[in-house]
Formats: sequence, C-alpha cells, structure tokens
Amino acid sequence: MDNEIDFFELASYGIRFAEKKYPSYKCAEIFVGKSQYTNIELEENSIKYSELGSDNGVSIRIYNNHGSIGFAFTNKLNKKVIEKIVTNAIKMMNAGTSDPNFKNLPEECKNYPKIESLFDDSINTLTIEDSIELIEDLITVCNEDNQAISQSGDFTANYNVSYVFNSNGVEACGEETMFSISSNIIVKDKVTGETSNGYESQVKRKLADIDGTTTATEALKNAKKNLNRIKIKTKKMPIVLTPKGTINLILNPIASAINAELFQYKRSFLVDKREKRIGSEHLNIEDNALINGAVGSSIFDGEGIPCKNKRIIENGIFLRTGLLHNSYTAGKEGVESTGNASRRSYSSVPSIGISNLILQPGTIPYEEMIKDIKEGILLNSTGDSPNIATGDFSGLISQGNLIIDGKVEQALNETMFGVKLLDLFKNIESVSREFKVYGSYYAPFVKVDNVQIIGAKS
Amino acid sequence: MVINDDLKLFDNTFIKELNRETGKKIEYWDIRATYTEGTTIDFTDQKSTEISSYDITNCGIRTFINGGWGFYVLKDISKNKIRSSFLKSIKLARLTESLSKNKFKIKERDPIIGDYKIDCKIKLSNVDIEDKIQLVKNHEKIASNYSNRVKNTRTIYMDAVNNYAFINSFGSQVRQNLSYLRLLNVVYSQKAGVIQRSINSIGGLGGFEITATEKAERLSEKTAKESIKLLDAKSPIGGKFPIIADSKLTGTLIHEALGHACEADLVLSKESVLKGKIGQKVALNDITVVDNPSMGQGKTFGLPYEIFGSYFIDDEGIPSQKTIIIENGILKNYLHNLETSSRMDLTPNGHGRASSSSSKPQVRMGFTYIEPNDWGIDELIEDTKNGILCEDFLYGYTNPTTGNFQFKCKFSYKIENGEKKELMRDVALSGMILEVLNKVSAIGDKNTFGFSSGICGKGSQSVHVSDGGPYIRVEDITVGGLN
Repeated sequence: MDNEIDFFELASYGIRFAEKKYPSYKCAEIFVGKSQYTNIELEENSIKYSELGSDNGVSIRIYNNHGSIGFAFTNKLNKKVIEKIVTNAIKMMNAGTSDPNFKNLPEECKNYPKIESLFDDSINTLTIEDSIELIEDLITVCNEDNQAISQSGDFTANYNVSYVFNSNGVEACGEETMFSISSNIIVKDKVTGETSNGYESQVKRKLADIDGTTTATEALKNAKKNLNRIKIKTKKMPIVLTPKGTINLILNPIASAINAELFQYKRSFLVDKREKRIGSEHLNIEDNALINGAVGSSIFDGEGIPCKNKRIIENGIFLRTGLLHNSYTAGKEGVESTGNASRRSYSSVPSIGISNLILQPGTIPYEEMIKDIKEGILLNSTGDSPNIATGDFSGLISQGNLIIDGKVEQALNETMFGVKLLDLFKNIESVSREFKVYGSYYAPFVKVDNVQIIGAKS
Repeated sequence: MVINDDLKLFDNTFIKELNRETGKKIEYWDIRATYTEGTTIDFTDQKSTEISSYDITNCGIRTFINGGWGFYVLKDISKNKIRSSFLKSIKLARLTESLSKNKFKIKERDPIIGDYKIDCKIKLSNVDIEDKIQLVKNHEKIASNYSNRVKNTRTIYMDAVNNYAFINSFGSQVRQNLSYLRLLNVVYSQKAGVIQRSINSIGGLGGFEITATEKAERLSEKTAKESIKLLDAKSPIGGKFPIIADSKLTGTLIHEALGHACEADLVLSKESVLKGKIGQKVALNDITVVDNPSMGQGKTFGLPYEIFGSYFIDDEGIPSQKTIIIENGILKNYLHNLETSSRMDLTPNGHGRASSSSSKPQVRMGFTYIEPNDWGIDELIEDTKNGILCEDFLYGYTNPTTGNFQFKCKFSYKIENGEKKELMRDVALSGMILEVLNKVSAIGDKNTFGFSSGICGKGSQSVHVSDGGPYIRVEDITVGGLN
C-alpha cells in the first residue's frame, strides 16, 4: 500500500524546502512513519470483529538559533502538503520562546548496532484466516472449562517502518513487526454465583512465538485464582509480587523515575539519589535495547541515535549514568544521549522511553520464596500507580491472594496497601530465578517484607 | 454550514451506489470520515517544548452481517479509494461471520439526515498562533510567580476543528462541524524535601471564547494555590470511614462505580455485575442517576460553551438523549449502541461513541450524574462525627466483573465531631459497586451540584466525558493510606 510514495525523496524535499524558506534555521528533522495493522476481536467467546488499517504520515521538527522549536505533521503524503507543514512548523518556531538548553539535533552516525529478528517477514503472507485461527486457540480453552462463562480478547499484527532524516546528516531507516494476543476470561462459581476475571497477554516480534493456548490458559488460571474473594483485616505483612506486580510496583515506577526529563524538572523521587543506595542488594536493573528479537529492542531511537545497553541500578546503588536521555536532555546535562528518544508515531515529538527494562533474576525458585511465609500476600496486580515525584504509593490490590503457611489461598476483595517506594526497594528480601517477559519488561517474582495492608474487615 | 469539499461526496447518490454494491452480501454498513486541523502548544517553566500544528484525515468503513463485523480504516478519502475499501470491508465482515458462532441482527432504524454545527463566538481558525501562545505564556507566568515554592510548571493548550461526515445503509446522512479546545495546567511545588503537584484543566466544545471564562482565566492561579496547599498535607490514615464526596468526586464515583457496569456491551459479554438486574432495586430510594449527553447543558452551568461529553448525535447516527439509569433506587436502563439495543430488542439511546473515525464505536457514557436532594454542605459536615471530606479526584477505575472500584482524591480533610480539620494527601478510596449505592446516607441539595470533565479510556480508545452530582455522604468506605 502506498508504495508509490518515495519516503526518502519526500523527506529530503522537506529539508530542502525548509532551507529555502528559512535559510538561517539551526537544524531540522523529518520523521516518516508508516504502519499497517490487522486486528481480530473476540467477544462473548466468539469471533466478532476484523479490522484492517494503515496510517502513514510525516512530521517536521525545526529549530532556530535560539533553540525555539516548531513542529507540524500530516498524513497526507504529497509535496504540496509537505510544503504546507514545513511552512507551519517555521511559523510555530518563530512564535516560540528561546531555549538556551537546546544544544543541537544528533550528528551523523555510522555505527549502528546489529540486532536480529526485529522483523518477521511472515507478516507479508499473514491472512485474516490465519489470524482468526490464532484466536480459535483462545476459544477452545474457554469452551473446555466448565467454570469459564465468557471471554474477550484480540489478536493484532503490526508492521511499522520509521525513517529519520536530519540536517546534521542523520539518516536511519528500519522496519519492525509486532504481534500481540490477549485474553480476558470470565469465570463463575457454580455454587456461590460469584464472578471474576483473569487477564493475560503476549507481545512478540515473531508470529510463530504467539501462543493463544498458553495465553488463555494463564488468563483462566488467573480468573480462577480470583474467585472466593474475602475481605481481610488491616495488618503489616510480607508480600510477594508476581511478575505483573513487579512491573506495577518496581519496573514501571523506575522507568518514569529515570526519565531524564522528569529528573531534570525534579519530578522524580530519585532526584538526589544518584550514586546512593536506593534498594537492597537484590535490586539490579538495566535497560537493554540490544536483545535479539525483543519487543523493546531497536537499532536506532526516535531521533536516529544508535541504541545500546545501559546499567541503571547495581546491587541497590542508583548509578550516576542511570538516566535515560534523548538528545535534548543529554545536551542539557552535557552528556551523550543514551538513545532513548521515543515516539509513538509521526504525530509526536520525541519523548523518553525505555528499551527492555530488566530486573535481574535471582537464584531462588518461586516455590521456595513463599514456602516460609506464615501470613502474607501474593500481589498479582494493582490498577494504581505511585506518585513519581514523591515515591508514595497507596492503592487497591486488583488481583491478589492470601498466602497462609506457604500456600496460596483465597483471593482478596477491597484490600488496599500503602508504601513508600524507597522503603519497598530497601525491603526486597529476594528475587526469584523465574521471570516473565511482558512487552518491554523482564520481571521476576519479588519478595518484600513488612508492607502495610489495609483491609475492609472490621 | 460550510462543508469541506472532500466530504461533499458523502451524499445520497453515493449511499445508493454503495447500497447497490452491497446487495445481499451484508446487512448493515456505515462510513465515517473526518478532516481535522489542530494546534498543540506545550510549555514547561515558561519555555516552549512543543508548538505544533496538524492536518489529518481519518476514515472508517464498517460492515456487518449476522453477528460478524468488518472494519476497514483508510486515510485517503477519495471516491475510488472508498469504493475499493468498501469491498475489502465487506470481505472482512463475511469472513468474520463465517467463523462466528454468536449470531444476531442489527435492527433497521429510521434514517437521520442533518447538519450540525458548534456555535463559536471566536472561531479557532481566526485566532492567530501568537495569541494562543500568549495565553499559555500568561498562565505559565501566573503559576511560576505564584510563590517561590513553585518549582516546575507546565501548560498545554490543545484545539481542533473537525469536519465530520457519516452515512449508513439506512440512508442516514450526517454532517458536523465541531470545534473544541482544552487548556491544562500542572504545577509542582517543593518545601523541605516534600514535592506536591496539582493538575487542573478546562475545556469544552466551542471557540476561543472558552479561554476567556472566569474559570479558565483563574486556571493556573488555582493550580499553583492547590499545589502549595498540598505541601502541608499529611499522609492519610488507612481504615474504614464515612466520606463526604464533593460534586466532582461524586461524579467520578457514579461514573466508575455504576456507569461502566451499565454499558450494555459489558452486560452482554457477562463482564458486568449488573447483568440481569434491570427492574431491581440496586440503590437507596433517594438515588436517581442519569446520563445526558444532550447539547445545551453548558448554559445551565453559566458557561458560554458546550461541556465535554455532550454531542448532537452519536457515531452511529443516533441523536443524543437523556437516559435514566437509576430511578428512585431501581435500575431502569443500560446504555446502548446500535448492536446492544438490537440484541436486547430495545431502542438505541445514543451511546455509540468512537475516539475517531479510525476507531469503531463502543458503548460509552456522555455526561453522567446523580440528581440532587436536600442536604446543605455545612449540614452534612456538622452531622458527621468522624469521617473524611473528599474534594476532587486524581483518577479512578473499576473492575466491572468483580465490582471493586477505587479512586484517588485530590484533597481530603479529616472531619472530627462535625468539624473540618487537617488536610491529607494521596487518599485512596475503595468499595464494591453493588454495596456503595446502598451506603449513601445523605445527598446534597441543588446548590451543591457541580461537574467535572475528563477523558475516559476503554479498549484503547479515549473519549471526552463529564460527570457530576451533589455532595453526598457514603458510609463505611475503605481508605488506603501509608500509615
């Protein structure tokens, strides 16, 4: 689709037009994004909806000598519209404020890393029928269980091309694929009539790695684990975070806290904590963009800078180099960009995002981790997120179970908990050997001592 | 009304042509197309971090047969491209249908033909970019200079003008000229290692005049004041308390704790705890809950624009209308789109909304609220022995299957012996859908009535909504805290 449009030609035309229109500009960048997708949806455990679509667009970012930025984008890909958006961007730039913190857009780069398996050419031959077949695996799991009463879910295949071109000589082009499948199963207890749900998803670069049966089986397991809910009393207890819980309470908050933009604006609870201990020795985190076939891997970032592996936290110490930068925040701090400029599509200016954020697994098996817990909580997920500026968290356990004498027991209703993240990090007692990958997160089980639980039982 | 030239092709002749093409291959189709032009201005600490303009087209072609839907999304709106994409969409629907086990029909409705337009006193296209930037600069300056404790400010201005066309196989033909803007302000303050932030926004459907309302003009001052106030707030104490919710929190509560579970798509998919409860008593006698996305309600709040969550017509060509959800404690209606109303053999009530023409319509709320009763605010506080007064919210969510919901309040004051005491921050509230409406012990009068607007997410789509109500008191709510 739209192969007739030569992106390279269009981008260089845009830069040339900017030069002509406003010769004294400092630097400019053209970003072209092209995407195609297939989406199949399941509702009431039956195929219901198929969608095909595409979105191709182009944006320009331009700076003057005072660091003032202009930005414009469109999804109408022709020279006339390019002229219009370049003109608009220049107008925006002239109307903006100067910013001495802006140094420059990235310089030309030759050494891009080699990463395997970010693109799977089976997307070229994937048909709607094939996609529906993958969904059929979800349906079978739900049909074969007598407590499962309904399921919703979907399968999506995405193909993206991005192309960055700037006036300093950066030129990078790459294509990638992304496949995802999800299942939300509703179960009903035949005796009590109580209902609950369980959710599970997979995101993969390779179509062959998508496994509907495992996804739905895991969702079903979660749903059943969430039946027979009870309210408990307020108490301090040890908690064990499942991989999803680890993402909610450790990885996701850290991803925000090490974002150099938030950090420089002093909106991160890790400000003043560089080179200091922020957690127990079990806390080891890196952000690695170079893993073959991983969802968060890429060769270059949203500004065309080569991606790499970054150490963030080692044995509980937050490293001086542990911030994620794009070219703007790096320039402001006087360091090199870490290649973490992220853009959702052509329609956004680069922000900062993680690659693959990894909490290093430990040595003990999960079973051993819960074995000695007399009374505690297995925390599977919360819909809340902490206040990143303060590191305070208080919220609801959306899915969690009691652990009694080393065994996972009843699910929890209306149970909340509150914790300061730095206390939670310091109280990490162990990290499991097993881990799960959800999108860009690599998450093991984590045991944390002494967490304040607020129950609804008086 | 001025119609964008490219949208003129969506006329009667084209509908007839597509219906001929359809023959017996499918049972229903609709097409939505939009041209959008917009501006975003983003400032941090009085410096521009993004000033952008965009020009975007979106088009979605939806087709249906016997329980199977096809949807084809394209960005190039020409007659030929739509014709060929229409055929692809038909293929998708037929293929989906052939593998679907859940069969149902879409009931034929009378066609709607109409042009709708948002009245703007000051058209967005007539406002120079410099003036929009100046507005943002002014707000940034007010916030930054409010106190030396203010450490970081951010102001975002977003506007858009939408030219919209809708046609369907019933012969409906809708054209709209919509215009909206939103101004958002965030302030971070710091005192002795404590960082607090406050966020406020204003916005609605209308022109640049929205920014000249008193509420808009005081936006950044209010935000700065709030973030400073929160610096002295205490961490909350967890436990069970009666809470008094202000109108904004009441709105969120009703949106999260009831509204979502009333969306008929979730009822049909067995994901709602309110399945099978129509005609049953689900709340106390005094409680009446309404969703009313009709236009014209801004006026009743003294606003010269339309509030978010209101619309002329939904994204399936059904006019917006007032729907009673609960009347005197009895569950009366779910919220419906074309599909759910067809399947439950009811008239659609105009709740099929999509975040853009590239997304399919889902069942969504518009403006949801509880009707007021007879308590005054002071009376409410005096009557409360030991509780918490909660004002405004940061966010909220619900699990419609288990019925457990939770919100984060912006301001919470302890109430001791009928007196408002110290301020607490980051108070989280939790409860169960089917229990909470039976725990309401007092409902405020019409003087306590208010609303707030925000963005609600469902199935990766976001739409503007509003919700509100009077002050209410709810007994026995679980409060999460750090202590």
